[in-house]
Amino acid sequence: MTVRLLQATMLTCAFALSGAAHAADPIKIGVLEDQSGDFAAATIGKVHAIELAAEEINNAGGIAGRPIELVVYDTQSDNNRYQEFMRRVLQRDKVDVVFAGFSSASREAYRPIVNQFDGLAFYNNQYEGGVCDANMIVTGAVPEQQFSTLIPWMMETYGKRVYTIAADYNFGQISAEWVRDIVKESGGEMVGEEFIPLGVSQFSQTIQNIQTAKPDFVVTLLVGAAQASYYEQAASANLGLPMASSVNVGQGYEHKRFTPPSLANMYVTTNYIEEVDTPASKAFLEKFHAKYPNEPYVNQEAANSYIAMNLYKQMVERAGGSTKRDDLRAELAKGDVCFDGPSGNVCLDPKSQHMSHTIFLAKVGDDHAISFPKVWEDIKPYWLGDAGCDLTQADPDEQYTPSNPPTKQ
Amino acid sequence: MEFVTAIVSSAYQFGDAFAFLVLSACGLAVIFGMMGVINLAHGEFIMCGAYMTVFAVNWGLPLPLAIVCGSLFAGLVGMVIERLVVRRLYSRPLDSILATWGVSLIASQGTLILFGPTMRGVGTPLGSFTVGALSFSYYRLVLMATALAVLALLYLVFTKTRFGVLARATIQAPHMANALGVDTGRIYAYTFGIGAALAGLTGGIYAPTMTMIPTMGTTFIMEAFVTVVVGGADVFLGTAPAAALLAVVKASLTSWQGQLAGQIGLLLAVIVVIRLLPKGITGFILKDRA
Amino acid sequence: MIVSRFLKRLEGPQTMGKGPLFWTAFAVVLAAALAYPLFADGYDVGNNIYFLNWTFMALGLSLIWGYGGSLSFGQTAFFGVAGYSYGILTINFGTAYGFGLVSVVIAIAIAALFAAILGYFLFFGRISGIFLGIVTLSVTLALERFMAQTAGPEWKVGAARLNGFNGMSGMPALTLPWFGGEISLYPDIGLYYLVLGLLVVVYLGLRILVNSRFGNVLVALRENPQRAEMLGYDIRKYQLATFVIGAALAGLSGVLYTSWGQYITPSSMGITSAALPIIWVAVGGRSDLTATLIGTLVVLSVFQALTIYGSQYALVVMGLLLVGTVLLAPRGLIANAGLLVGTLFSRRNGSK
Repeated sequence: MTVRLLQATMLTCAFALSGAAHAADPIKIGVLEDQSGDFAAATIGKVHAIELAAEEINNAGGIAGRPIELVVYDTQSDNNRYQEFMRRVLQRDKVDVVFAGFSSASREAYRPIVNQFDGLAFYNNQYEGGVCDANMIVTGAVPEQQFSTLIPWMMETYGKRVYTIAADYNFGQISAEWVRDIVKESGGEMVGEEFIPLGVSQFSQTIQNIQTAKPDFVVTLLVGAAQASYYEQAASANLGLPMASSVNVGQGYEHKRFTPPSLANMYVTTNYIEEVDTPASKAFLEKFHAKYPNEPYVNQEAANSYIAMNLYKQMVERAGGSTKRDDLRAELAKGDVCFDGPSGNVCLDPKSQHMSHTIFLAKVGDDHAISFPKVWEDIKPYWLGDAGCDLTQADPDEQYTPSNPPTKQ
Repeated sequence: MEFVTAIVSSAYQFGDAFAFLVLSACGLAVIFGMMGVINLAHGEFIMCGAYMTVFAVNWGLPLPLAIVCGSLFAGLVGMVIERLVVRRLYSRPLDSILATWGVSLIASQGTLILFGPTMRGVGTPLGSFTVGALSFSYYRLVLMATALAVLALLYLVFTKTRFGVLARATIQAPHMANALGVDTGRIYAYTFGIGAALAGLTGGIYAPTMTMIPTMGTTFIMEAFVTVVVGGADVFLGTAPAAALLAVVKASLTSWQGQLAGQIGLLLAVIVVIRLLPKGITGFILKDRA
Repeated sequence: MIVSRFLKRLEGPQTMGKGPLFWTAFAVVLAAALAYPLFADGYDVGNNIYFLNWTFMALGLSLIWGYGGSLSFGQTAFFGVAGYSYGILTINFGTAYGFGLVSVVIAIAIAALFAAILGYFLFFGRISGIFLGIVTLSVTLALERFMAQTAGPEWKVGAARLNGFNGMSGMPALTLPWFGGEISLYPDIGLYYLVLGLLVVVYLGLRILVNSRFGNVLVALRENPQRAEMLGYDIRKYQLATFVIGAALAGLSGVLYTSWGQYITPSSMGITSAALPIIWVAVGGRSDLTATLIGTLVVLSVFQALTIYGSQYALVVMGLLLVGTVLLAPRGLIANAGLLVGTLFSRRNGSK
């Protein structure tokens, strides 16, 4: 896999260089992703998607006539590496934009550096929401997009008693907060909430607690390979409850990695998975598999990265070929930077610089086949704008949460 | 009926925690407790056994046989590592930290490069049973039984067999054993191999219940070290009571305050025990005897 | 003559490198380091500050482990405590009136206090050897676990949210008071000279310390604690003092790292981070300050270069490096190299 990666990078670079021979100088795009370490399973696809997009765009003449040159670093799932390489990529390689980060901690580690050098970074992962920072463009899905669709649907279908198990850190706790609020608004009842530290893999007590509480469905916000062992253990204890999640299946393709029927009756809201069978999705998958025939899975982060590359191309070309951040933000502020990608039509929101999404409700069947009981079109990332973040007016550089919203002026 | 359910569920949770602690620690207890080598690659031996087990199942072997296969393979790998790296480090415990850390880096990254970031696992066999309003998995009972069997087996091997007596003699007084004609090199190799094979057994037997990634061993490491340290040098005197004590701590804290309390409780237990009993439970028991 | 008296205090049996040749080489290296920013670009200067930040922690560990004989995994705990303290202090009180500098001192003092309490518990409880390592590792991990779940809004000290696993950011860079305003030291030439200056002061200070009576007792208790005690020294006090000094240095590293990146996270106290200082110091040569210093810088640069150019194989090479060092050069690669150089020169100087 690494040989293929090196080959792909070299091919892209070679292509970019050959382009440079007779065109303008290249647009450099930095890529900081975890290709080894704990997060590698979900992020290798992102790098491949970026390379696919770069190749496609270069074949079509580049961005405003300039070819793309990728500068790729492996951050080894280590926050320190993000800091080191973000400095390197902005100061020494002098890239025009960076696509970086998987975990929220890595994003928070590199954000101060992006701000210090006044650069531009794309964060293409789903996360807990709330980043109000003019130097960041976020294409990942946020809680209001995933939960305001998922939870009411589950409550309508299965009942009003809800039990949440979540990873015990920012993403899990904030997502659990969202679930709590939505359940209350919809007239439901939280019969239990449990927070599991990262790296824990034994869930016997948790399973027992769930059975004692007798919920109608379980919301699982588990992160990391160790925590994903829950599904296997719950199935072998015959827990038998429907599950709802915003984070599994769409990111770590657990339905392919675990034996059926451990994930049966699981519902996930995601902005893309490779089982989506719209014509746009099929075309995207064909191109992907043509270049990477052995790709284990094309997840939502890979799709977001591909979309982000094309959005960047659009913004630069609309700004007359300029890669200056302020020119690009001026285009963004017009509110109509959109792209028709593998998941449908998506647009960037000027107030928060986040992306609207088509949300697919994926149901995992007994044999782990995926069906789509419902699709929501054009769900906007409304929370930040509603809460008071308006990047067209001010740049607070902060991350907000429902219990820590922007102070209203 | 409620009362019966409560008893059964408490016993189940205790047994589950006990099994996890014993199985995490037994391989390390042999290697660290008996041989004094701090084996930071313990997690990777576990991963090795788990991966081999899954491969064996994919080749068509039934699960119990596959687990044995995984365990043996881990044992063989352990013997190779002992020969190449660990043999020169017996008198230098702090250096064994570095060397085994290096081995663990090579092993986990090597597995990532060779087999990719994740692998499809095997399902958990044997269904479930219900007591009152709760249902439990039969396989977890298998884990508990295995833990007890491992303890019993270790005791038998190291006290009742010729090899076991020779091994303990070699480790306690290597020069004497050598003078008496024992091939100490081979004894060391086999003992280390047994420790590695036990770790592989843990990996193989837990593999059906967990996600298969190259760093899967790290989830066992903390519990393993905590149990071995609290237990002290002797595997039989120390590890079993230590695991029982810590299982009580972990199970009760987890059911009372959640998983985080259980984890921090374990770490605090280590600190308290070492302060009160610097040589672990073994030191406490042996001192009493003397 | 004052210089030669000063130099005499810097040399002794505990440190490698003595005599006019060594100190000339030292002066040359120092001059090169001072002139470096004139030739290097902004990125390299900032990157080198990043490497220099870690050296204090390594020197502290060398003192505790190499000279004192106590393997401690706790350096990263003190690193984290000081980093978070600096963040909390500067976010709450700002940096006006020189408080930026004061908060550095207070943060290090908090880490040292924490070390004093922990050290008292350890050394006066007669815990030693590998058990010391395990207890310090447990403390570090417990701290990391605890901090990682402080994501909720109720977890804050004054105006500073601890923010759990995502880490605390928003603290200002290192700020010095100056006439007519303050200077904010972002990772650039100014900060480089400050850190370099600190390093020279700490290095020379430690050399004086280990070559003094204190250092002699320290090495004696490393070699044979019972004999040192029977000679009348209360070894627990010496071990505690060493532990606190080492912890203060780790705290300095923590504050510098936090102000360099304006960010601190619990994973800086995780198990991998706890093992890294051990690796740098062991590969460099734990029983000698100079070897540790050079070794840390070399290992950090090599690991970073490997990651940049070696992609997936970087970690495998690191593992091989560790195993190789332990088997082939157990006193540390740099220390062995230094010994080699030393024997070469002494042979040249004509031994009988």
